[in-house]
Amino acid sequence: MVNFTVEEIRELMDKVTNVRNMSVIAHVDHGKSTLTDSLVSKAGIISSGRAGETRFTDTRQDEQDRGITIKSTAISMYFQMANADDVKEIKNQKTEGSSFLINLIDSPGHVDFSSEVTAALRVTDGALVVVDCIEGVCVQTETVLRQALAERIKPVVVINKVDRALLELQLTKEDLYNSFQRTIESVNVIISTYVDSALGDVQVYPDKGTVAFASGLHGWGFTLRQFAVRYAKKFGVDKEKFMTRLWGESYFNPKTKKWSSKPTDADGHPLERAFNMFVLDPIFKIFDAVMNFKKDELFKLLEKLEVKLTADEKELEGKQLLKVVMRKFLPAGDALLEMICIHLPSPVTAQRYRVENLYEGPLDDESATGIRNCDPKAPLMVYISKMVPTSDKGRFYAFGRVFSGTVRAGLKVRIQGPNYEPGTKKDLFVKAVQRTVLMMGRYVEAIEDCPAGNIIGLVGVDQFLIKSGTITTSETAHNMKVMKFSVSPVVQCAVDVKNPNDLPKLVEGLKRLAKSDPCVLTLTSDSGEHIVAGAGELHLEICLKDLEEDHAGVPIKVGDPVVQYRETVLSESSITCLSKSPNKHNRIYMKAAPLSEELSMDIESGKVSPRDDFKTRARELADSHGWDVAEARKLWCFGPDGTGANLLVDTTKAVQYLNETKDSFVAAFQWATKEGPIADENVRGCRFNIIDVTLHADAIHRGGGQLIPTCRRVMYASILTASPGIQEPIYLAEIQCPDTVMGGIYSVLNRRRGQVFSEEQRPGTPLVTVKAYLPVNESFGFSTDLRAATGGQAFPQAVFDHWAAMSGSPVEAGNKVYDIIRAVRKRKGLPEDVPSLDKFYDKL
Amino acid sequence: MSDLNGPATFADDGRATIERTVEINSIKIDNIDSYYEIERTCQRILEGGYSRIALQFPDELLPDSASVASKLRDRTGKSVFILADTSYGSCCVDEVAAEHVSADFIVHYGRSCLSPTSRLPVLYVFGQQSISVEKCVSEFDRLIENKDTPIIVMYDVTFSHAADQINNQLSKIFSTAIATKITKEANTNHNCQETPVSDSQSSQEYASTTDDCCGSSACCKKPVVNKPLINPEQAQGGRTYVLPEDVKLEDCTILYIGEENITLTNIMMVHNKCPVITYNPEKKEAHRETVPVNRLLMKRYFLVQKAKDADVIGIVVGTLGVASYMTIIDHLKKLIAAAGKKSYTFVMGKLNVAKMANFMEIDCYVLVACPENSLIDSKEFYRPIVTPFELEIALSKQKEWTGDYITDFQRLLPGLRDDDFTYDDEEEREENLSDEEPHFSLITGEYKQGRKYGSKKLDGTSLLVSGITDLSLRNNESALSTLLESPSGAFLKTRTFRGLEQKTGEHEASLVEEGRSGIARGYSTEKDLNTSAP
Repeated sequence: MVNFTVEEIRELMDKVTNVRNMSVIAHVDHGKSTLTDSLVSKAGIISSGRAGETRFTDTRQDEQDRGITIKSTAISMYFQMANADDVKEIKNQKTEGSSFLINLIDSPGHVDFSSEVTAALRVTDGALVVVDCIEGVCVQTETVLRQALAERIKPVVVINKVDRALLELQLTKEDLYNSFQRTIESVNVIISTYVDSALGDVQVYPDKGTVAFASGLHGWGFTLRQFAVRYAKKFGVDKEKFMTRLWGESYFNPKTKKWSSKPTDADGHPLERAFNMFVLDPIFKIFDAVMNFKKDELFKLLEKLEVKLTADEKELEGKQLLKVVMRKFLPAGDALLEMICIHLPSPVTAQRYRVENLYEGPLDDESATGIRNCDPKAPLMVYISKMVPTSDKGRFYAFGRVFSGTVRAGLKVRIQGPNYEPGTKKDLFVKAVQRTVLMMGRYVEAIEDCPAGNIIGLVGVDQFLIKSGTITTSETAHNMKVMKFSVSPVVQCAVDVKNPNDLPKLVEGLKRLAKSDPCVLTLTSDSGEHIVAGAGELHLEICLKDLEEDHAGVPIKVGDPVVQYRETVLSESSITCLSKSPNKHNRIYMKAAPLSEELSMDIESGKVSPRDDFKTRARELADSHGWDVAEARKLWCFGPDGTGANLLVDTTKAVQYLNETKDSFVAAFQWATKEGPIADENVRGCRFNIIDVTLHADAIHRGGGQLIPTCRRVMYASILTASPGIQEPIYLAEIQCPDTVMGGIYSVLNRRRGQVFSEEQRPGTPLVTVKAYLPVNESFGFSTDLRAATGGQAFPQAVFDHWAAMSGSPVEAGNKVYDIIRAVRKRKGLPEDVPSLDKFYDKL
Repeated sequence: MSDLNGPATFADDGRATIERTVEINSIKIDNIDSYYEIERTCQRILEGGYSRIALQFPDELLPDSASVASKLRDRTGKSVFILADTSYGSCCVDEVAAEHVSADFIVHYGRSCLSPTSRLPVLYVFGQQSISVEKCVSEFDRLIENKDTPIIVMYDVTFSHAADQINNQLSKIFSTAIATKITKEANTNHNCQETPVSDSQSSQEYASTTDDCCGSSACCKKPVVNKPLINPEQAQGGRTYVLPEDVKLEDCTILYIGEENITLTNIMMVHNKCPVITYNPEKKEAHRETVPVNRLLMKRYFLVQKAKDADVIGIVVGTLGVASYMTIIDHLKKLIAAAGKKSYTFVMGKLNVAKMANFMEIDCYVLVACPENSLIDSKEFYRPIVTPFELEIALSKQKEWTGDYITDFQRLLPGLRDDDFTYDDEEEREENLSDEEPHFSLITGEYKQGRKYGSKKLDGTSLLVSGITDLSLRNNESALSTLLESPSGAFLKTRTFRGLEQKTGEHEASLVEEGRSGIARGYSTEKDLNTSAP
């Protein structure tokens, strides 16, 4: 039975100091959802017996069937600390009473759904990082952890699947300790690269209680605190002192009853590590007793540990018994929830240092102040991070976090989309919130209002936001910062309806699909095909399934997945290109040159952006990328879409009227970089230098009509003379497998142009982690292929990493690039030959 | 001139324009009398009692124009004028040019889009290309296995003279062969008395093809008059055909005789559900059209999506000859206003990239032209160009893209259309103005919030105060007059260069100097250079 009521939760919402917003993040299959079950069962939402099997937060049928989480799911829980005194352990922040409201978001672990994690992280302040004790820290663990730290989210770690280490690997105590130690170290290595003074030291230490050890499947878990409390009572020592002794180089000599920091006693006899002796020993003993059917011994042991079993439970055998015993001995829910309440920050604490990362506007306006103080009476600031489908088809709950003010039903709010600019009406709607709801996993609970610091679902604003946005009551409020995703939609495929009359339904479905997923992109290509773009094959597969079954509800045809390419140049234009305007009265001379890959990446990651002040940007370009400062100051614009990694630079000297024609140049530049000359793909990493311009003296003869087409032509000519090249997207693929099947992995990678750049054996296990670069184009069917080649023992995780130039010229026959480009052009309905230079280049 | 510097090199004396050679594949016709149907033309002129005759030639037939004109003048004794270099496509009848010479009758030579005209009577002379009827029929016979497939025979106008023979032959092979009729004249007094040739032919062909067709020799140009139209698609430009009642258009195969040209594209777009087989009389072979018409259609679909995102729409007048072009322009204006968008009307003669890119504030153009000139591949253009039909789909809430396609704007005319189209309710829109949901743009995959123009809600005074982005004009009384809701004003705000703005403090004050005088072609200071040049 649910052991709390909505009223209780609502009451706690006002005590913001007792709220914890946290997400569960990890690599795929490290047991997030299973572990979440333990927490949910603690709250009485599911029975403790079924915890670990239900995966309560996997709400969709396909999540249950496939055994992976696809959508992040939020759930609010009420937690009462068993011992009111424990509250005192919460350092550096205020607390009222010993009951807590925990808003938990379970996130997917597969890289393809990383965008869900990003959306979850934004609305939470703390993260429970789950790490498989056998596989250790994997690529996705690292990715999500980095993202969390970038969002200034405090992590605590839980090492999961300890039961496997005991039952399957049969590790000794010392081996197990070492394995824990290694895992914690590798987590700390990642954390230490992200030193953020505002966040403080967020490395995790078992002796401080920020690391838990658990078995999600069996529903047990502990932190050193649990044992410290137990022994402190027994030995009558201070539990905090005891806790520090339970980890690291600390040994107990049972003969002398003395602590030592050396692994041997005075006589040179080996001493047992305190962790092994006090923590692992009882656990090992229980395992040994249960698995070797020594029931008498077990019951004796349990009596000593003050664990009581019912008569029914005593009848159980083997794993069933083990589960019951361990769950009673070390209930995971208590241990983890305590850890969460004690070590994760409350919204009040977190928003103080997060505000600068959250808010775009000036940090001293009323909205920023409201966020900083988490003030329920300040103007409303809500960030909507994603849309959650409702049972009502086509409608969504806007899921987000109240950072300031109080949101209630009927409140008239300003809905600011991502393109909103303060002071304008762009992307702005004024609407009333219809209802506010509490997200409870599979169901929702209506709630009257919701003060700052809480996670909430809003009804009635979904029509005005596509994926995310800011909701406020302040007219001066700027937007909350948009989320930066670690994945980008690089795989796309065309969809079409089987029955032409269903087209309107498909269009509506595409709109809903775009809403329902933070990362998916739906659009129409200029050949009129409907395109769905996703982060990876699995992501695309799920999206298309949702589209067909839920969003559109009509049968659809799906084309083969294709990747997008980028056009680029490899050298400077061999000649200065000239194009004349249609009236022959204007001439533009231009050259193209490649940008360094570092600069392209800096532009794409926002380090160098069009919004920067031009002087600081020029300095940055000169210092880090070796530009001439004078030229860097005359950087006209970025493109395509005003933000891409192509630059237009004015290198002319004293050209009359040039400033008047800048708009035409910019328009042409945007157009030319959006649809390059080679295959109509985006241009990337290209710098266009305007060498000289001759303009007619009369404004009417140098209007946009004369200049835009001319400028576009000369840019095409510049690209064609600068050894044009093609870039393809590359995945970083991480494959974990037993070393026996390495051969299979290499052969599959070789076939697919993959390049292995790292191969690491995980100490103490036969597992090897292979990291490789794999062209996205070759990745279709990769996991199936890999599974076939390794007897199902290797699982790849692939995430978009970078763009890489393909060898071969797209304009000369006889290489692969040439064939690819012809195929792309054919697909797009263009003439297969790349247009020749004389179409764009004019003779003087 | 070559050693001149500065703008003077550009402003030449116009010699280049005069000396420019135009690439035209002109064909000289030997048998002028039969090719240009001199006999029929004279007969028609005399019958109608017209006195001033305008002959409109396309560029490729111009070499013959003089001989044709003199022949006609000799035979009829009327005043004959030659019209060339039409303002729009040469397939359309240029009534405006004809009116310049106060002509009361136009003879249109060469390929024609057969668009109805509004004012003057027109006689079409297509020119007769040779064709081997037997070869044509046998090729079709070879390609179509199932002889029960209903077929519709269409042809390029230049082969219309052989159409009847081909129809006759085909109807012997195929169980259902449907013939297409092509209008040979428009607005003449003889509309209902067909020319002797076509009169006899039409009764013949109808008798031989289908029994339940109109069957009479009376005006087959407008089957609407005789028979309620079963399917509106039966009339396509000047081409008409009548489907038997038990035959659906989707089941038909279209046989097209002629080369690949825009007429064919047009037919394929409109009949996009039917397979098309073409016979090329020059190469003497037929083949199934594999050009995926679907692809063409989807490209248009993309343009519809772009039009949906547009806030400011330019109506480009691409014809002055096609009947009721004014009505359709009015219709488009109303449609655009009803959708809360802003329209501008442009008359710019033949379209080209440079002209259209001059108006950067326009998001999308809609072209009002004859069906064959409506489908512009706007890839090279800065902004997309759509047809009135596409714009209607984009803007009207009631219409959706179904795959049916109309190139002929006549069928969108408010009085003539057969669907119950109404303009979106403006009142309702006003009420919902603030409620309006943003529309999901399939171009960007994001929501697009339309700028709204033409709202009546705001009264003048509030606009004067709130019109931040509006362009202000100073009128003669030096009072400020405000150009309300001007998208151009809004666009100007986004430009980096806005003309003569005072940059107080940015420039040093300096004394006024005397500038250049003269005109752009050569300023007074440059004159010396000009005259000194050889």
